[in-house]
Amino acid sequence: MYSEKTLPVKLLAVLIALFIAAPMFVVIPMSFSTAPSLEFPPPGYWLGYYQRFFTDRNWTLPLFNSIVIGLGTTVLTLVLAAPAAFALVRHDFRGKALLNLALMMPLVVPHIVMALAYYSYFGMLRLVQSYTGLILAHTCLSMPVAILILTAALKTFDRNLERAAANLGSRPLTTFRLITLPVLKPAFLVAGLFVFIHSFDETVIALFISGRDTTTLPRQMFNSFLMQADPVLSAASSVLFTAVLIAVAVPAVVRAVRGKRAVSPRS
Amino acid sequence: MGSSVSRLLRGPAVLYLPAALFLLVFFLVPLFNVAWMSFTEPDTGFGNYTAFFASSFDVGVLLNTFKTAAIVTLTSLIFAYPVAYVAARYGGALGSILLLVVTLSFWTSFLVRTYAWMVILGVKGPVTAALIMLGWSPPPQILFTTFASTFAMTHLLMPFMILTLYAVMRRIDGTYMRAAAGLGAKPLKAFTSIYLPLSLPGIANGSVLVFITCLGFYVTPVLLGSPRDKMIAGRIGDEIEQMLNFGGASAMAIVLLVATLGLFALYSRFFGLDKLWR
Repeated sequence: MYSEKTLPVKLLAVLIALFIAAPMFVVIPMSFSTAPSLEFPPPGYWLGYYQRFFTDRNWTLPLFNSIVIGLGTTVLTLVLAAPAAFALVRHDFRGKALLNLALMMPLVVPHIVMALAYYSYFGMLRLVQSYTGLILAHTCLSMPVAILILTAALKTFDRNLERAAANLGSRPLTTFRLITLPVLKPAFLVAGLFVFIHSFDETVIALFISGRDTTTLPRQMFNSFLMQADPVLSAASSVLFTAVLIAVAVPAVVRAVRGKRAVSPRS
Repeated sequence: MGSSVSRLLRGPAVLYLPAALFLLVFFLVPLFNVAWMSFTEPDTGFGNYTAFFASSFDVGVLLNTFKTAAIVTLTSLIFAYPVAYVAARYGGALGSILLLVVTLSFWTSFLVRTYAWMVILGVKGPVTAALIMLGWSPPPQILFTTFASTFAMTHLLMPFMILTLYAVMRRIDGTYMRAAAGLGAKPLKAFTSIYLPLSLPGIANGSVLVFITCLGFYVTPVLLGSPRDKMIAGRIGDEIEQMLNFGGASAMAIVLLVATLGLFALYSRFFGLDKLWR
């Protein structure tokens, strides 16, 4: 008879997962701590560090900058990546494999190399320390994320929906607006969220090309690490973690809701 | 000429050209500029490269980078494998929870997780407290050592490894293992002769991804590591910020880039590029 002892390996997997999750069990309690320095477990709890995070200009300005840069990056990335994803999935053209490779390359090149590249290149273009420079750099690095999510969604798109619309006399543009776009909306939402998080999170390039007035949140956090471990850091970290939680949870909820509402045309 | 342009613009080029031009101007040109600087700043020639490879310190940094990447890759593979295996093979509620934890961790900022290890491994952290309780006095310095940064990098990259392993393992047919057992193979034998070989593409994918990412790591070694044994990304940062030595920094960046792309090309010859992120 086939028997397999699964308990030990399952237990091992759970232990490793606990290890993976461990940082969050530290960062979140730390953000409510009364300790003036890095101390764990916390000696007491209060909300003071959140209050400072949301009122101290040293933290509110970077937060504001990160949001502006994140939104700019999201819009620009989607505007560039969405049509390219359509071309990659629906058309055959010369150099398609090369284009696909080029679009994925920013994922492979180390960020420090790009940081040096932008530092000198944007220096010539007078874009160092500007929102524009950061948005352009982050857009470039986010392109693979957006392309991967959008092409995956497009590949599973049932083109019979468009053919049916055309058969019923709909013009291409109307079909696109009434059929294609609504079906792909969740994919755009997911791609947008992940691009935003990607930009919101990016540290190395921001470290080198953002300036005093365009400091991003990760850069402020990094400097705060180096100088003195200001416990406001843990409030900042918790806010970042919550943003990720939302970004991961929202698509899951959207998918669940959509799965219940729409009966798949193929099933 | 004019007609060929208008013909081009009626095809899919309209769709992909904006992205392609953007990448050309804001990705490829800046990279070529780095290569250009490495041969021209401050003097024309191979000076920056000969200086780099003549410096025993810099060659040591390069070797240390490769060594660290190898250790991190191997360790994260050993720990990632059981998690991916359980999630892929047994699924269910446990599998979903494991994947959720891994995905959340995957998307959580490197900086946030590095900060967490700073607290956990710090002087007032739980690890030091436990060591003191066990009678280790004075407690050893953990933070700002090679161990701390290697350990944290392993933790940071494990989700990459798990997700790539899982992507391959999910497609392994579970009935093979039952067939092996039916033919009399003990579980370990069935695993080593059936499951492990079938999961090899996942191991290759994950290892290349982790190794390449680790080669370029900047934040964690700078914050948690020992200043005595640097990694190359940290050296590049120093050259830019402290020395303003753009030629030297560019040469190092090109060495790092060539190593990364070389590994990547070697890998994609054998496995196909498209499999890496699926």
